[in-house]
Amino acid sequence: MIAFLIRRLGQALVVMLIISLLSFSIQDNLGDPLRELVGQSVSEAERQALRDTMGLNDPFAVQYWRFLKKALRGDLGDSYFFKKPALEVILEKLPATLELVFGATLIILFLSFPIGVYCAINPRSWFTKVMMGLSIVGISIPVFLTAIMLIYLFSIQLGWLPSFGRGATTMIWGYETGLLTVDGLRHLILPSIALSSIMLPLFIRLIRSEMMEVLEQDYIRFAWAKGLNRHRIWFLHALKNTLLPVITVGGVQIGTMIAYTILTETVFQWPGMGFLFLEAVNRVDTPLIIAYLIVVGLIFVVTNTLVDLIYGAVNPTVKLAGRQA
Amino acid sequence: MSRYWTLFMGSAFLYRFLRDKVVIVSFSMLLLLVVISFSAPLIAPFDPYDPTQIDIMDSDVPPVWQADGDARFILGTDAQGRDMWSTMLYGTRISVTIGLFAVLLQSILGIALGLAAGYFGGRLDSFLMRLADIQLSFSTLMVAIVVLAIFQASFGTELYNDLAIFMLIMVIGIAEWPQYARTVRASVLAEKKKEYVDAVRVIGLSRRRIMFRHILPNTLSPILVISTVQVANAIMSEAALSFLGLGMPVNQPSLGSLINSGFEYILSGSWWITTFPALLLIMLVLVINLLGDWMRDVLNPKLYKD
Amino acid sequence: MPLLEVRNLEVKFPLRQGELVALRDVSFSLDPGERLGIVGESGAGKSVAAFAILNLIGRPGYISGGEVLFEGQNLAKLSPAEMRRIRGNRISMIFQDPMMTLNPVLTIGTQMIECLQAHRRISPAAARKLAIEKLRSVSIPAPEARIDQYPHELSGGMRQRVVIAIALLTDPSVIIADEPTTALDVTIQAEIMELLLALCENNDVSLILITHDLGVVSQVTRRAIVMYAGRIVEEGPTREIIANARHPYTLGLINALPERTTPGQPLNQIPGVMPSLMDIPAGCAFHPRCSHSMEVCRCQVPTYTGGANFRVACHWAAGREQQ
Repeated sequence: MIAFLIRRLGQALVVMLIISLLSFSIQDNLGDPLRELVGQSVSEAERQALRDTMGLNDPFAVQYWRFLKKALRGDLGDSYFFKKPALEVILEKLPATLELVFGATLIILFLSFPIGVYCAINPRSWFTKVMMGLSIVGISIPVFLTAIMLIYLFSIQLGWLPSFGRGATTMIWGYETGLLTVDGLRHLILPSIALSSIMLPLFIRLIRSEMMEVLEQDYIRFAWAKGLNRHRIWFLHALKNTLLPVITVGGVQIGTMIAYTILTETVFQWPGMGFLFLEAVNRVDTPLIIAYLIVVGLIFVVTNTLVDLIYGAVNPTVKLAGRQA
Repeated sequence: MSRYWTLFMGSAFLYRFLRDKVVIVSFSMLLLLVVISFSAPLIAPFDPYDPTQIDIMDSDVPPVWQADGDARFILGTDAQGRDMWSTMLYGTRISVTIGLFAVLLQSILGIALGLAAGYFGGRLDSFLMRLADIQLSFSTLMVAIVVLAIFQASFGTELYNDLAIFMLIMVIGIAEWPQYARTVRASVLAEKKKEYVDAVRVIGLSRRRIMFRHILPNTLSPILVISTVQVANAIMSEAALSFLGLGMPVNQPSLGSLINSGFEYILSGSWWITTFPALLLIMLVLVINLLGDWMRDVLNPKLYKD
Repeated sequence: MPLLEVRNLEVKFPLRQGELVALRDVSFSLDPGERLGIVGESGAGKSVAAFAILNLIGRPGYISGGEVLFEGQNLAKLSPAEMRRIRGNRISMIFQDPMMTLNPVLTIGTQMIECLQAHRRISPAAARKLAIEKLRSVSIPAPEARIDQYPHELSGGMRQRVVIAIALLTDPSVIIADEPTTALDVTIQAEIMELLLALCENNDVSLILITHDLGVVSQVTRRAIVMYAGRIVEEGPTREIIANARHPYTLGLINALPERTTPGQPLNQIPGVMPSLMDIPAGCAFHPRCSHSMEVCRCQVPTYTGGANFRVACHWAAGREQQ
């Protein structure tokens, strides 16, 4: 277990270093911090002097090292637009994105497993056929289109649910949440559905096809031959084996989901990190862009390590705990 | 070549194709869309790239069947006065082009890397696979957004507009090689184990010949299946990027950028600017996905499916 | 009074290309304490027959005719709940490859205890004790430790011992063993076979042994059935069949044994291959490969001829009998 963790941590460190290097190079080449500080009328000589004082003429490696040190202290520069520390701005918006992802994940988990398992066990039922048909249509509709359609139907035509923003939020120990108010929850519904809309059919199909393959295996037949209860066969013997590839794919999809939050937040004007990032891009607010990349990179690395750990816990053939034969 | 043709005509593939109505409809639909979009210069009533044909006074005209409709613009016009139908045709052409070329790039890159990893094994293999893992986990869309955003911010919109289509193909093309590499590598490893590869080597054929003449044909069917789905994915990625303003620029619109430009009007009434491109996009992607699904069923009968 | 009696069993597989008949007119019986062998090449239908007894034929196959009589019931017609009481309880089955038979994500203990708990009221603690005892009886060292391990942590031979232990957990009347040693190392095959034999004798369990290995059949079974293309072509006491086979196919199988070849000479082969079940020749299915085939073999399916304790389906053999 320890060896595994150390290896994964080492890998994570390498990835974060690469991200930080990339981010730094971007910062170096993008936008001009001087322009934000001083106007046009400053002379060239004064500009160079200013650059020297700020350390902007030092060699790349030196500047990078300085960047790293500051980053580790949590200082990623100040956002040009907000005039506040970039990291602070990002972290303020983090809860919104987290809750959106949380909502979408709940939908995916609670719907994909039952439907996927049912379709695997009953491949010929009409429900299965309908689900399979719907799922192909589902994966063909991009996230932003689903979002637009949901807004059009539920907000404009029916007026049942709000179409933008996060609604009323409450602060708990410095964490701003929308989950504790009815208004906040109402605002969460459509964006969560939109975010889950393309991954839900994917998971249904994945679970169904993996489970169908598992059900053909010898060990399932042996379980039938032992005279076990069919629910035990389906939900323990088969499902546990189905989980393994699903966890693997799920881990990869986390990255996609984060990308999709950018799309969803844009359509719903959901005040999360993704929306912030897009605005930062449009304004060329470099520190904010960098801060987003680093925070998102960190999230990736952490969740991927967690997924690997979960996989190791479920799959006994992975030598996680160093069991001896 | 004619030998391949005879094989194809008599194959189970063609047989199953002709008997499955859904596939025939999908394929015809796809063919139709590709043909009409690529003949856009010939059949579109207007040329949306020609500023002389666009009159700002013509903007926001509803489709022809509505009260304020204009017979010149069957599906109405957008906020700049461009004919929707023409713009959609050109836009589809762009989307399909990007999809095809991006997948071409991905497949060549991925197959090459996958063959190398599988055949040579060892350190090269572990390195490539680790790289693939990391790249997969970062998701194409994320990478594309970041790269394109940086590019646009660094080089300005002017240059960006000229290079947009090229950049999109490059980014989507390079980001998705892991899928192909993995599949090809798995096939190579499986084939390596088979004895005939040893037999062929004993006879003395060069390594490259072994790879291309013996291993490659057997990896063809998974590649075909993946490619179809990847084209659909590439088109959707491009649409998403254009929707965010990071893809095709407004003066060379693809379906995604059209949807984006219409989005703000969806509440104020010009619903057609978003709706028609959206429908066309969904149709295009759906048809490709249906075909891909059917191919997977036919070429990969691991499972007896009812 | 036979323990298990299969009568005119017919199994069909409706496939896209047409309907495949996997088993045709298969009848045999098993007495208490008897050991019966079912022999044949791959594709002959031996495994299908075994699965048919427990009504476990993989979709889309189904039993289209005949009966499987056990303890006064026709197993082919029982409801799933009733069938569950038989499977793993009164009739157990051992599959070929123990790595694929045991669920890789569950411990040995779980897979044994669940079998006990499925068929009788027993506390988990008592079930665990019983399982450990059974592991000991199949000569697995340190069973208290092994029971909490996963299948991949055991060697092939040990895994098969576990499978045998599972089969015996509920004191069944019949064990169906489908190629139990084929997937194992040659050095272990004999051990496992002996273990199985000893356990069957000591616990008074009837055995149906399915294999393509005539050597094993001759040492283990008292009676044997030879199958070809979904039908039984010969049946009789094993010793009799080995020493004095009547059907040309059986003769071919016996002559193909390496022991029967003169050193330095090529192995005796039966020319051709067994037909795919989609394409069974008319008349006697074996006639294209048979050196004794006659005109009648091409058009007429041979009926069973024989004596008190044997029978054979062959025109040529029937002719010889009459002489």
